Amino acid sequence: MRKFIILLAVTVCLAPLAVLAAGPSQGGTLIWGRGGDSVSLDLAQATDGESIKAGVQMLENLVIFEKDSMNVVPQLAESWTVSDDGLTWTFKLRKGVRFHDGEPFNAKAVYDSFARVIDPNHPFHSYGKWVYLSLSLGPVKQIKVVDDYTVALVTEKPYAPLLNNLALWLCPILSPKAMAEYKDQIGQHPVGTGPFKFSKWVKDDRIIMECNPDYWGDKAKVDQIILKSIPESSARLMALQSGAVDIADDLDPDSIRLVEANDQLTVIKQPSVNVGYLAINTDKPWLKDARVRQAIAHAIDKETLIASIFQGMAIPAKNPFPPSIWSYNDGIKPYAYDPAKAKKLFEDAGFDFSRELELWAMPVSRAYMPEPVKTAELIQAYLAAAGVKSKIVRMDWGTYLKKTSNGEHDLCMLGWLGGNADPDNFLYGLLSADTAKTPGAANVALWKNAEFTDLCLQAQRTFDKTERTKLYLKAQEIFHQEQPWVPLAHSTIVRCYNKRLHDVPLRPNGLNSFQMVSKDK
Amino acid sequence: MSRWEGLQDLMRNWSAAAGMAIIAAILVVALAGPLLTPHDPLVPAPLDRLQGPSSAHPFGTDSLGRDILSRVIGGARISILIGVISVTISLLPGTLLGLLAGYFGRWIDSLIMRCMDMLLAFPAILLAIFITAVLEPNLTNTMIAVGIVYIPHYARIVRASVLSLKQQLFVQAVGHLGGSHTRILWRHVLPNCIPPIIVYATLGMGTAVLQAAALGFLGLGAQPPSPEWGAMLSEGRQYIQIAPHVAAFPGAAILLLVLGFNLFGDGLRDVLDPSLRSQ
Repeated sequence: MRKFIILLAVTVCLAPLAVLAAGPSQGGTLIWGRGGDSVSLDLAQATDGESIKAGVQMLENLVIFEKDSMNVVPQLAESWTVSDDGLTWTFKLRKGVRFHDGEPFNAKAVYDSFARVIDPNHPFHSYGKWVYLSLSLGPVKQIKVVDDYTVALVTEKPYAPLLNNLALWLCPILSPKAMAEYKDQIGQHPVGTGPFKFSKWVKDDRIIMECNPDYWGDKAKVDQIILKSIPESSARLMALQSGAVDIADDLDPDSIRLVEANDQLTVIKQPSVNVGYLAINTDKPWLKDARVRQAIAHAIDKETLIASIFQGMAIPAKNPFPPSIWSYNDGIKPYAYDPAKAKKLFEDAGFDFSRELELWAMPVSRAYMPEPVKTAELIQAYLAAAGVKSKIVRMDWGTYLKKTSNGEHDLCMLGWLGGNADPDNFLYGLLSADTAKTPGAANVALWKNAEFTDLCLQAQRTFDKTERTKLYLKAQEIFHQEQPWVPLAHSTIVRCYNKRLHDVPLRPNGLNSFQMVSKDK
Repeated sequence: MSRWEGLQDLMRNWSAAAGMAIIAAILVVALAGPLLTPHDPLVPAPLDRLQGPSSAHPFGTDSLGRDILSRVIGGARISILIGVISVTISLLPGTLLGLLAGYFGRWIDSLIMRCMDMLLAFPAILLAIFITAVLEPNLTNTMIAVGIVYIPHYARIVRASVLSLKQQLFVQAVGHLGGSHTRILWRHVLPNCIPPIIVYATLGMGTAVLQAAALGFLGLGAQPPSPEWGAMLSEGRQYIQIAPHVAAFPGAAILLLVLGFNLFGDGLRDVLDPSLRSQ
């Protein structure tokens, strides 16, 4: 016993020394385990989360969101102004910035980075597929070089969401020399201005980036980031538990509980700007009647879904976007879980109960849908309780996205991370008649409501936030009444990591630069 | 050897007896399935998820709160069905092809056996994955895929038996006495090929169950919410750290059934193979 007390005393006395020795220091390698590989690191061409989370470490935009909120702050632009007619956005650029290849950053680089997307005559235009051209950058018609450090973007109509869209990853500024040299391979060799620079990419295994010693702002604290692909969720959890990785992404809610219980590991959480939903194909004759869609909404018990499959890490959804985004209509009364009422509505609408609905389940898990197949099984049981038969359909992710955007499903599960925290991103992008055109519809409910679409377009032209709010509140009422989706949940996003990391950020959209992260040696 | 003696021999062989007991037990469970299940194997009770074994749920509950005992019982029927149907699918064409190839020889033999060699060149599971992926993943197609994969095995075994039988005096005698090909094949060659086929088919049921479970594990077999054992095992893998029982019970069920078929098959071979019996 005495020995033990002495040992304890010595330990207590020495403990502070140990803490001093192990305090945060510069350098080291951060190993980041994630579910899959990136597709392209040229973020003007990437739409998948795995590409974007890697790309934002190396590439920068004119403006960016604050570290842990969705307020827009300067990045490569120092300031900006909007003309009175709302058509011209003028950006003053930061001076003394250099690309990773040593080329200077200036108005020419910004011009090339934008013009390659929006101008079909630009020499770099043919080097890529510019996915955001039809979405967030559509209204931008022209980019003008005013002087060496000033550029102006001109839109064809007043377009209020532009600044938030620019703060997203979707128009990074790349080195013009590198774009000319790598042509359509720029996505494999990104050259930007960010705190990390690209080093190596082993397909389906790892991406390595090094600290950029010439970075214009605060330099990154770790020497190197290795993004490691570990497809199996349980293997990722074990890698985190054993210390083989410092961060593990996209763990399922049950694994997150294990991480929380582990002394070596920690979890940070943030209400996200996402939605997981069940889209109902309004083009199918048997799903055209709004009462059928309301019936499906009444049949599903979202509270239980969240308590069980989401392990409480979500809130039930009633609108297409989460309450953290402005203009959320909290006056909407959600469809209560009521199988009897659901059955009645199906009957009233003359639904043919002998029909077996195809219920498409996503093959991959996402923060907004951590357990898609389990969720589908639960929804299948809920529909059965209301007397409706359904069959779960599964296929690979690429095919799933393609076929749902062609409208081949009856019901399909999908979700959206509204990266720019603007209602437009959800309402116009996912539910307007303009995006319901097959093939390639983002509005997979194929819901074409003229009044709703008009409200969204009107809001895009309106700069006054109070006015825009009114329009969006109304749009949400129409959505609720028509119920082209059953919005299921807005999930909490989490980041699970080893406590030897410090200052790990988490933005509501889950996309952060890791320049401030340090690691104990 | 009369039939009765054969059965007695079989029962004296401990391996065959043990195998038969296991298969019989699982067969009873599969047939009586709905009478035995304490809960509905398909209806979720999400708030009771991942409970450990208890008196209410002897095998615990899965991630949607379904009773695992009921699901394992429900899965027994599926697994037995897979075993029987896929073995039938491989056995019938395999035997026919083997008979034709072995008996007629020459170009017929070359044609059939080269095709069989082509099928054999693929690793079994890879071929099965290919077939289900092309056909659309579901239970029926799993049985078809597993069945097709094993056709060449039966063809080869039967052909080998036919080749040796063809040289035997009693077969040649029927030929010289003017017996037709059909008569020779049907009445004299086929019956003598049956013992090895039975042994192989019994062992093959175990393999088929395992292959189907593997396809289910990969998500290519029975689709949710079907309580197929391989799919249940795959689901349980995710909870191996917090709720190991979710994977353990379907895993044990697969083990038991495959073990049963293998023991029985081994015992049958010992009893039916005269060269082993004389020792």
